Amino acid sequence: MKPQKNIPPKSADQFLTWFCKGELLEEIQGDLHEYHEELTERPKWKRNFLYWFHVFNFLRPFAIKKSRSINSNFSIMFRHALLISFRSFKRYTSSFFINIIGLSTALTCATLIYLWVNDELLMDKFHENGDNIFHVMEAMEFPSGTVVGGNSSGIIAPLLSEEMPEVEHAVQVARHLDNTTLSFDDKTIKADGHYVSKDFFGMFSFPLIEGSKNNIWDNPDAIVISETLANNLFGSTYGSIGQNINFRNEKHYTVSGVFRDVPNHSSEKFDFLLSFEGHTASQAYLLKWSSQSVAVYLSLYPDADVQAFNEKIHDFIGKHSERHSYRIPFLVKYSDEYLYGEYEGGVQSGGRITYVKLFSIIGIFILVIACINFMNLSTARASRRLKEIGVKKVVGARKATLTFQYLMEAVVIAFLALLLALIFVFILLPEFNAITGKQLGISFNLDLMLTLFGITLLTGLMSGSYPALYLSGFKPIAILKGKLNTSVGEIWTRKGLVIIQYTVSVILIVSVLVVYNQIDFIQNKDLGYNKDQIIHFDVEGKMEQAEHMDTFLDQMRNIPGVVMASSTRTKLTGDNWGVGGIEWEGKSADDAIYFQHMIAYYDLIEVLGIELANGRSFSRDFSAENTKVIFNEAAIAHMGLENPVGKIIRFRGQNKEIIGVVKDFHFDSFHESVKPMMINFMPNVLSQFMVKIEADRGKETLKSLEKLYLNSNPGFLFDYKFLDNDFQELYASEQRVSILSNYFAGVAILISCLGLFGLAAFTAERRIKEIGIRKILGAGMFGIVRMLSADFTKMVMVAIIIASPVSYLLAKEWLNSFAYRIDLEWWFFVGSGVITLLIAWLAVGWQTIKAAQQNPVNNLRYE
Amino acid sequence: MGKEYIGEFEELILLLIVMLKEDAYGLAIRKALKEHADRTVTIGAVHGTVNRLEKKGLVESNLGGATESRGGRRKRIFTITAAGKKALHRSRDIKVNLWSQIPELAVNKF
Repeated sequence: MKPQKNIPPKSADQFLTWFCKGELLEEIQGDLHEYHEELTERPKWKRNFLYWFHVFNFLRPFAIKKSRSINSNFSIMFRHALLISFRSFKRYTSSFFINIIGLSTALTCATLIYLWVNDELLMDKFHENGDNIFHVMEAMEFPSGTVVGGNSSGIIAPLLSEEMPEVEHAVQVARHLDNTTLSFDDKTIKADGHYVSKDFFGMFSFPLIEGSKNNIWDNPDAIVISETLANNLFGSTYGSIGQNINFRNEKHYTVSGVFRDVPNHSSEKFDFLLSFEGHTASQAYLLKWSSQSVAVYLSLYPDADVQAFNEKIHDFIGKHSERHSYRIPFLVKYSDEYLYGEYEGGVQSGGRITYVKLFSIIGIFILVIACINFMNLSTARASRRLKEIGVKKVVGARKATLTFQYLMEAVVIAFLALLLALIFVFILLPEFNAITGKQLGISFNLDLMLTLFGITLLTGLMSGSYPALYLSGFKPIAILKGKLNTSVGEIWTRKGLVIIQYTVSVILIVSVLVVYNQIDFIQNKDLGYNKDQIIHFDVEGKMEQAEHMDTFLDQMRNIPGVVMASSTRTKLTGDNWGVGGIEWEGKSADDAIYFQHMIAYYDLIEVLGIELANGRSFSRDFSAENTKVIFNEAAIAHMGLENPVGKIIRFRGQNKEIIGVVKDFHFDSFHESVKPMMINFMPNVLSQFMVKIEADRGKETLKSLEKLYLNSNPGFLFDYKFLDNDFQELYASEQRVSILSNYFAGVAILISCLGLFGLAAFTAERRIKEIGIRKILGAGMFGIVRMLSADFTKMVMVAIIIASPVSYLLAKEWLNSFAYRIDLEWWFFVGSGVITLLIAWLAVGWQTIKAAQQNPVNNLRYE
Repeated sequence: MGKEYIGEFEELILLLIVMLKEDAYGLAIRKALKEHADRTVTIGAVHGTVNRLEKKGLVESNLGGATESRGGRRKRIFTITAAGKKALHRSRDIKVNLWSQIPELAVNKF
């Protein structure tokens, strides 16, 4: 490690300067610096931690600066206001607790959401040159609509950098190396990698620990690996350069560099990199226009205008290859892709930013609900503090002073709530991380602290503003005479605020119901195939040859517990490429449809349990299956063939006979509708074994399979996955939203109810004499409860009426992003309304029943 | 006079100040404490104590001796006053006197 300049943390010094007496500062700071200097041996974080520790340790009476204005009017008033605040907390304990519970829960949610949002916004933002890095996307204009893809042809990179003066570097990345077997000595590891061209490390900021980015790709057979991979293979990063790594038991690559592990904030994840130039020496097709499987990144010179550049390259592909003029390249900023990654009909249509916005709004809503509680309770309780205000005003307090006092009270509560909230956040963070799949942590950096401080201050001011202005505006004479008419406006404000709270709560409940039902619908929808109890693993090594694969498939079938085994090249969770150029009888000339292409081996259709609508599937009983083809119903419908079985189509210049039609099944995300699909029999390009096993013998079967695999294919790992897990991952983000919105809706309801609870208690208390008299005159308990809850019921009803259409529109909007979705049932809305009403009654009911049961004598005897 | 009584930690630090002579400043005292008494305390604790001693009039201080590692800041060098010496003597005398009155402890010890 290079010797670093040893500087104590600046913020600690500033803190010290701030609190320490001037005459002591020099020697104390000097001592601390000298101490810090002595710690050079320790790691940096420890040095800084110790430094901070000792700085904090100087928070002793002898060293702390005496407040300059200790006797000024302002500080006396300040201390007085603080004192009064604490006294009023003590006096009105229940409303204090309602406020603090509400606010701290809200702040906990807000903090968690802030941490998450902040983390999302930081994704891919760490590249030094990030503002100038762009991804070359392609909008493909098909007759059926425009489709946007992130892959292009490798050749576009050198052409763009030659012809466009704005381009500084162009980098090609081919992500063809997922789950690759690497080994060194007797260690075998599966790792994910990319092929990248030589300027990769110059463009992206992935720091190298070993090797230099100038000559790292000089050798076409070079491999650059991550710190972790180096540690796993060689035990350390040091000395790993020059070692030979065995790649898929086929070939050796020489380590030419080690990079620091890809940070969490990178959406690009890889463990190793190989040379793209080296790869294209044998795979020249990657550079052809007809292949579209390379991601191309450009860095432009800082003064380049992207808008203008996009216009310039509009016809770029067409100019170089007439046949591909339907592909329109355009640039998007690399660092924006993570959040704005979705396209619809060729137009940017959101992405994760939707969730970021959604949760930010929910966070703000929850805070607002908690603030409303505070406002309502403090204005409602105003009548009890009237005398205090009156006396203060008579003695000479001005309106501003009183405003200050009440604001102060609110801010103090908010900060107490923040302390609690931070404790909650610490406790909840691991759970929250598990749900969101992130590694969030609270680090006490200035940014976070300032933000939390700001949020809390704002919350305090917001919740204190209305009561402060309201209370301080009373006329002292009227108050002391005991004549305070609650104005109509005030009651309306309070009611309005309650209605807002409940509207938000109802909207959140409806959202939870809708999201939950949609997720449930997706996960239990009949896919058209059976995804349960199917494992899949890579076809590697000698298995790639047909005869080895056949023996292996046979041997697997003989294992007890294995129901069926086959292999394929198609991912059943989407993201497959289509193929064009299929000719059939009666095809119209302008039909440029792309078919989804599934590549199957014998028995695949049976393993997956896909139903045949017509004809047969590929079978060993027939010969020359590679001249046969199967379609799904969507494809047949598109082609408009009647009695398709037996008809001949042409694909890649070859005649193929249709032998069967399968019923439509979902091989893509439910955001997409089922597309036309062609199933071909191609033994040479299979990449995944698919094995169906019996449910009750899973463990032993897997063990025997592993043993068999390791014996038949030495040097490779048996690394399997369950198909239904893949499926769950496909909907991970929806799942997360579903869980989180559950929690947040719960919190919103809880806080709203706390407020209602407080208000009900207050109303019951104020009307205690009225209740007493009514009881004496013969009112029953039920009548009194009804009288007290009628008001609240009305407010909640109004909220439900407002919330229903709003939530209907929101839910519709969200569901529109799914091609397969649930209908919005009436009971979502009625149900949410009933739930809200019931919870509200529960909150109010307890208070009103208590009030109605009191003995009227106790309430009336002081009069 | 109550102020002449000194606590155990104060006594230790007074002794170290005498021992360290021209080099008796906060951090050096802390180091010496670790070395001679095997006690690790925070820098703040040392500063707090010497400040208290100064207030009691047992030590005096003046500034001097800036080094690079201190970022050019001067040290506060402490020296013992006559009253400080007196307090030390007194403290020792009391203890020696007590020790001499309990010979059995002394015998067992040596």
